[in-house]
Amino acid sequence: MIYGKIWLVVKPTVGIPLFLGAVAVSSFAVHYMLLTHTTWVPKFLEGGAQKMAAVAAPETTAAAPPTALVAAAPAIKSQ
Amino acid sequence: MSENIDPNKVWPTGLTAPEAEEIHRHLIQGTQIFGFIAVLAHLFAYIYSPWLK
Repeated sequence: MIYGKIWLVVKPTVGIPLFLGAVAVSSFAVHYMLLTHTTWVPKFLEGGAQKMAAVAAPETTAAAPPTALVAAAPAIKSQ
Repeated sequence: MSENIDPNKVWPTGLTAPEAEEIHRHLIQGTQIFGFIAVLAHLFAYIYSPWLK
């Protein structure tokens, strides 16, 4: 405890909130910068939403039945 | 140096040297506990997130 005597000249009511505030602000800043300056942190925090959307997207339903005949069924051969 | 300080002298902050040492001891302990939790959290982040992969 070689630095304990700092509290003889710095009021703990000032020094301790300053110290804890510095820790809080700097750690928040680091994590905020990771969130805004990388691609993988937001993607990771998003979870599996994008994967599920990609799976759900191909599910399309026809708005109306087809009107034009594309191909006729093969004729049944009589023996 | 610490033996030169009068343990009964009240300093401008209103504390004596033993009181200042006691506050500092608690602050160091709090920092150690915070650091331990932070190391654990970073370990979990390293294992379970794409961090550094």
